[in-house]
Amino acid sequence: MGERKKLLEIRNLKQYFNVGKPNEVRAVDNVSFDIYKGEVLGLVGESGCGKSTTGRTIIRLYDATGGEVLYDGVNVHGKKTKKELKQFNRKMQMIFQDPYASLNPRLKIADVIAEGIDIHGLAKSKEDRMNKVYELLETVGLNREHANRYPHEFSGGQRQRIGIARALAVDPEFIIADEPISALDVSIQAQVVNLMKKLQKEKGLTYLFIAHDLSMVKYISDRIGVMYFGKMVELAPAEELYRNPLHPYTQSLLSAIPVPDPISERTRKRKTYNPADHNYEENEPVEFREVTPGHFVLCSEKEFRKYQSQSK
Amino acid sequence: MVVEKVLEVKDLYISFHTFAGEVKAIRGVSFDLRKGETLAIVGESGSGKSVTTKSIMRLLPEHNSEIKSGQILFEGKDLTKLTDKQMQKIRGKDISMIFQDPMTSLNPTMKIGSQIMEPLIKHQKLSKAAARERAIELLKLVGIPKPEIRVDQYPHQFSGGMRQRVVIAIALACNPKVLIADEPTTALDVTIQAQILELMKDLQRKIDTSIIFITHDLGVVANVADRVAVMYGGKIVEIGTADEIFYNPQHPYTWGLISSMPDMETNDEELYSIPGTPPDLLDPPKGDAFAPRNPYVMKIDLEQEPPFFKVSDTHYAATWLLHPDAPKVEPPEAVKRRRNQFVGVKGGK
Amino acid sequence: MINKENVIIKDMFQPAHIDPSKSEKIAKPSLNFWQDAWLRVRKNKGAVTSMIILAIIIIMAFVGPMLTPYDFDHQNTKHNNLPPRIQGLENIHWLPFDGTLTRRNGTEYNAYEARNIDAYYWFGTDSLGRDIFARVWKGTQISLLIAFLAAVIDMIIGVAYGAISGYIGGRVDSVMQRIIEVLVGIPNLIIVVLMILVLKPGIIPIVIALTITGWTSMARVVRAQVLKFKNQEFVLASKTLGASDTSIVFKHMIPNMFGVIIINTMFSIPNAIFFEAFLSFIGLGLQEPFASLGTLVDDGFKSMIAFPYQMIIPSIMIALIMVCFNLVADGLRDALDPKMRD
Repeated sequence: MGERKKLLEIRNLKQYFNVGKPNEVRAVDNVSFDIYKGEVLGLVGESGCGKSTTGRTIIRLYDATGGEVLYDGVNVHGKKTKKELKQFNRKMQMIFQDPYASLNPRLKIADVIAEGIDIHGLAKSKEDRMNKVYELLETVGLNREHANRYPHEFSGGQRQRIGIARALAVDPEFIIADEPISALDVSIQAQVVNLMKKLQKEKGLTYLFIAHDLSMVKYISDRIGVMYFGKMVELAPAEELYRNPLHPYTQSLLSAIPVPDPISERTRKRKTYNPADHNYEENEPVEFREVTPGHFVLCSEKEFRKYQSQSK
Repeated sequence: MVVEKVLEVKDLYISFHTFAGEVKAIRGVSFDLRKGETLAIVGESGSGKSVTTKSIMRLLPEHNSEIKSGQILFEGKDLTKLTDKQMQKIRGKDISMIFQDPMTSLNPTMKIGSQIMEPLIKHQKLSKAAARERAIELLKLVGIPKPEIRVDQYPHQFSGGMRQRVVIAIALACNPKVLIADEPTTALDVTIQAQILELMKDLQRKIDTSIIFITHDLGVVANVADRVAVMYGGKIVEIGTADEIFYNPQHPYTWGLISSMPDMETNDEELYSIPGTPPDLLDPPKGDAFAPRNPYVMKIDLEQEPPFFKVSDTHYAATWLLHPDAPKVEPPEAVKRRRNQFVGVKGGK
Repeated sequence: MINKENVIIKDMFQPAHIDPSKSEKIAKPSLNFWQDAWLRVRKNKGAVTSMIILAIIIIMAFVGPMLTPYDFDHQNTKHNNLPPRIQGLENIHWLPFDGTLTRRNGTEYNAYEARNIDAYYWFGTDSLGRDIFARVWKGTQISLLIAFLAAVIDMIIGVAYGAISGYIGGRVDSVMQRIIEVLVGIPNLIIVVLMILVLKPGIIPIVIALTITGWTSMARVVRAQVLKFKNQEFVLASKTLGASDTSIVFKHMIPNMFGVIIINTMFSIPNAIFFEAFLSFIGLGLQEPFASLGTLVDDGFKSMIAFPYQMIIPSIMIALIMVCFNLVADGLRDALDPKMRD
């Protein structure tokens, strides 16, 4: 694993809201992980577990309360000049969840897609700009004629593809996809996922794919991280996570996903997770430990030894 | 095997009169609901699944919707012919409904208990004290701890999953014969969803009600459904038992739906996806509404709407591919794999 | 179950070809925001009628005074207090345009014949013998001018203030909101009366008096909208692309607020007209010989019993303008409000 290049290192990232007030929320609480160049890292968890906040903090939509995000070894957070910021903006892009809210209803599709091109001055002339827009539209499977239309004329899946085209306009290396398919119909989800996979292969993109639909995440991701109440509880290669989930929360999550298969649905047993079951002693250090190579679990020293013996 | 039919929808046509013109949302839907079964209606947004069930409850906006023709028979009465007063007596008593969003389907200014008691006092003419007893009983039934205390609390004191349990308690208050659940778990997290589905199945066994379950999640369908109706473009395109739909689907749209969801075995192969977008019901295409997205499209699909072809006693599909003159086509890989898997399981027994 | 009406030929089961590029085609014609809104407004008969009436009133406000041979400020005391008389309509007795007045004992007489005047004052004359027709249109012109000016200034200040307050947020927002609360807390009338006393009555002082507190409601509405848009995904997307704050506000936020801003302005125009009329009525309005609808009502009020037409005509004009603006604003709200979209 050592040969693979780390594109992004997230170190002890913290994002608290309402700091110091009684309603303080620790949306992201001391999360560390790496994202390797060219991989898809899936991030799953239930609503409110902080997975979206993690994505938004990485791309600087929120200022981190603590910790660092290193992109190619350079910290993304902290004081930056306008020029440095613009460079990050070109390297890192985001695809949003709600295809209806993520496009400005008053702009034509051409202007939506060209926003990044305009901001970063990537087009030499008006003609060049339109050609780039047409090219992007075709990349995501839409037609040139769509450039002059308004967002409300498109279906959810088409809008999501326009959102992808907008992100691609600045030639990013790394894309954060924040629940890009959860608002779409099943038949359309596959279109978008296929498109994202195709783009990744063609352009060598790296994705952070945030979702709550585990079967899609498993399909698209190389590695998966599971979040629970602001903490990363388990991180492992996708296949490994499904075959051998160690953290009890991951186990309960996996047992809860309904599979489109009536026979296995009739026989499955569901597990419930109760944080009290860990029985941690007071002040017992609970850390993110590597149980087997590449498989990290949030656990105490005791649990660590238990998991290790389980995995042998 | 004669099974009692609780509800029968016959050749229903519903249109909406909108600004842009007449939207033919439901174009000839027929199905029946048997006693004690769960019928799942699946389809993408705009396929007409919610409109169908809202028309049963008469919850469609009156100013712009119109039932063009068809019947909704409940215990021999045609619900489309009833007055609003008569309908009110049925709603909440014989047929009740659970909505998608537990956050908005409870009144935030009323105590949970009063909200459960309301239908009891109205329909079953219980006294206040008796209704309260029953409300506590119902809360216990849907698995809410400490119901004696909870009954006097307000909705904001409940979590999303707990609220959906309360909504279910209200819906079940009068032991309805039919329960319509419109995406009841879509707004919930998977672990909560699993609990609610478990609860609904459990309650169904206890009080023997029939459920119409609307969802777009095939995983949920596989979990709850006895029979499945697949809707597309305002019509049912395939209907059958859950096993028939999941392991031996016949309609190319069902094929698309089933194979566009990766299962744990799908890995590197590209996902099967249905190209294009759903039809515009303002101006439905001639012939089969699915034809423009159908990779197996034939000339006849563009000319004539396919009738239902019988696959088995319980399984019907509306596609010309089942006509004896049609060429034999191969379904997508994922569907074939399912078929074999199913034969394997059944054969092994 | 097979449909027997249609003939099925074997040949029809040949595979058909469908152009895959067609599947993404959008059949509907492309409508932008304004075209879409216009289609909606057009369905609202009240709003359309009101728009036509308003258009006529606005045109007449400029053309009207030129249609009569009399100037709005030309005094002719010999012709004072004449009732309305219109050529052609004077012979239709049940119309109030035959030049007759009613004596205290209830009998009617023709004022023009009695005083031997051979002239036609369409809306009559006032106590100084000025032509009310010319004065009403002149007054409408000035009232509308005051109202439009006040509304536009309200809009500019309100949008800027609200946008800054909402977008920057935090402490700046708190301070700016407290300032608004203080302004709203002081009774409007007191500020206005003080302003007029200091500045002397005139068009500009009245406009300033109207706008000094009038912009607050617009500022609040705009701030609420900015707060809403701040977390919308299209604004976040623009931020991740590196857009500057000004471009986010002007390109993404304000265009999406046009509907709300227009509706708010449309509602503030009739309010300004009414408030101006009120000021004039309590004697703080324009000075002679200039007239606004408010001063005309005030003048007419003095001789309301003897010469009711002097007050009724400008009153009808005020009522008409206010009702029409409100109906148009209502129609626009239905048309522009995104929540009403289906």
